[in-house]
Amino acid sequence: MTEPINENSNEAAETILICEDSIEGILTGVYEAYELRRPHHTIRLQIGEEQNLRLFCVYHKVQPNEEKSSKVMRTIYRRFGEDAYTQICQALVSYDMEKADAVYHTIVTGISGSYRGNLMDHLSNRYVHKVFQLSRNTGIEIHHLLGFLRFKELQNGILLARYHPKNDVMALLMPHFADRLPGEDFAIYDEGRKYYAVHPKGKQWYFVRGELPFAQEQEIYTKQEAEYQMLYRHFCSSIAIAERKNLDLQRNMLPFRFRKYMTEFVQID
Amino acid sequence: MELRIAPKMTTMQKLEILTDAAKYDVACTSSGIDRSGDGTGMGNTKLAGICHSFSSDGRCISLLKILFTNECIFDCRYCRNRRANDIPRATFTPDEICELTMQFYRRNYIEGLFLSSGILISPSYTMELICQVVVRLRTQYHFQGYIHVKAIPGADAELVHRTGLYADRMSINLELPTAEGLRMLAPNKNRKKILTPMRMIQALREENQNELMLYRHAPKFVPAGQSTQMIIGATPENDYQILSVAEGLYQKFGLKRVFYSAFVRVNDDAMLPALPGGPPLLREHRLYQADFLLRYYGFLAAELLSEERPHFNILLDPKCDWAVRHLEQFPVEINRADYRTLLRVPGIGVKSARRIIGARKSALLGFDDLKKIGVVLKRALYFITCGGKMMYRTKLEEDYIVRNLIDPKEQVPFSKDGMTYRQLSLFDTAVSVPFS
Repeated sequence: MTEPINENSNEAAETILICEDSIEGILTGVYEAYELRRPHHTIRLQIGEEQNLRLFCVYHKVQPNEEKSSKVMRTIYRRFGEDAYTQICQALVSYDMEKADAVYHTIVTGISGSYRGNLMDHLSNRYVHKVFQLSRNTGIEIHHLLGFLRFKELQNGILLARYHPKNDVMALLMPHFADRLPGEDFAIYDEGRKYYAVHPKGKQWYFVRGELPFAQEQEIYTKQEAEYQMLYRHFCSSIAIAERKNLDLQRNMLPFRFRKYMTEFVQID
Repeated sequence: MELRIAPKMTTMQKLEILTDAAKYDVACTSSGIDRSGDGTGMGNTKLAGICHSFSSDGRCISLLKILFTNECIFDCRYCRNRRANDIPRATFTPDEICELTMQFYRRNYIEGLFLSSGILISPSYTMELICQVVVRLRTQYHFQGYIHVKAIPGADAELVHRTGLYADRMSINLELPTAEGLRMLAPNKNRKKILTPMRMIQALREENQNELMLYRHAPKFVPAGQSTQMIIGATPENDYQILSVAEGLYQKFGLKRVFYSAFVRVNDDAMLPALPGGPPLLREHRLYQADFLLRYYGFLAAELLSEERPHFNILLDPKCDWAVRHLEQFPVEINRADYRTLLRVPGIGVKSARRIIGARKSALLGFDDLKKIGVVLKRALYFITCGGKMMYRTKLEEDYIVRNLIDPKEQVPFSKDGMTYRQLSLFDTAVSVPFS
């Protein structure tokens, strides 16, 4: 007698898709999750390798695919609107490892059509709420960095900015500076993730992976650069009203972690 | 022709003098207009403005805030740069200002330029100099970032008009809330000379907005609007008078912002108050809180203060104070109330109110959801119900609520400006400190 084939042997288990930590990687994961044609509550998206493999789970590794991820991006933009698109993109560059699953299930919620109106309004849904939190966290950091990033003019005329963001926001900062300084050669270097974005004068900007060939101590500036740094330092100290001194308030508004790269706070010998 | 009496100054020396001279003008945000670069120059602007740094007094540094010159023919008693003071005087050249602006800007130190000036020779002469700088910055240096320019009271209308075509924001300081105060402390200025250009800028902006509807590429006149500033504590006006003036400016002159600057005693003048407790920072803080209530929360000045109660409560912020005095309007049901009613609940701000309205379309909201949305439940819980139930069993009674709302550490952040806890405990609920 033949053994009855257990047709449900695959369905009881959870499927976990392991994605690369990038917008392309995660959105490819979303696309492939839909390709599986399984109930969405049985699928989870995850970044990187699982430390403890779980029983009764099937793991699939997802290869980033530009075509699939851009299809998902287009769907998000068209169906959910620009606001939701921005929030999802901001959540996707967050440092939080749960972002992939949160974004996946938010998209599922939106596509299923069970909510009327704006997708991101439905904060009572825990996945939407998570995406909202991540997007807010990233958004605040971007807003800070737009102001706190500092360029220095190197001897070859290039403006270089160093920083170390918690979230991977380089791609969200560059358009602002490219619009602001179209006639400048500039570069921004992420010291934590070891890659930089380069903008040549009058051209399209691009990423370069790898460390900068010189350390911060070895940077050579123009003479003018040193003068302007001093001018700015003096400007910042002259502008303060002594009778209103409030270092607590200053620390609230400008956390210490940003000050390392800001010329007016760096201790000069 | 250059008549030089003092030794020639370096840019650094000038910058120190003229930044120090400009620092009491707090009307310098970089907000109000969203503009992309057009590729031919340098710069863009963001609607919300960007804070590039914070000084040791905790205030935002956003623009290169300088005076063109601190020479002045006026003798305003509260001002460091008054004619009677013997201080080092300096004047920038237009190119120096333009170079500083561009070099700071490309290093991402600033959002743009804030240019004011002492009065050199005459108001119109000074305005002409300021106009030259701004035109040069825009046309020769191709600067497309933010420019905030002060209009000089008494200057020629045509000059103000011309400058406005190149600036993003213009402002004229009201300085003192009443004509009497102005007469007392700044006899060279008068209300008419200040309000006339304000009215003119308002009219020109309206005209410009009509033009832009017909022709999209018409040159813009002061697109980020007007603002102004009042000094708080130099003259004996009460909070109600000051707030009414601000309300009038918003309603009748279409101003974008009114700023309040706590009086700092920089001159030894008999007409200026002594202020032993230092600058009135808490009063300034309350005025800003009330100002936001006027602009974003639909309050009227008469709802917050009155002739009988002309001063703010030192223990409670104006919104809590209003709520506690109008307990008949509460509790508010979160799942039913409209936007305007939600805004009036202490602990619910503009963003939270909007999110509540969005989130309740799909689900009935409970207190956990409100916490996620960002409502400050510690304050709001006395005033709201979710699905008919309050969070804890609280009494809707004034004394009880106020006792719970007041957390001395939280409500009085300026423990260093002379306000002691002994002073606070002398007062009963909802009694305010008279100006002294």
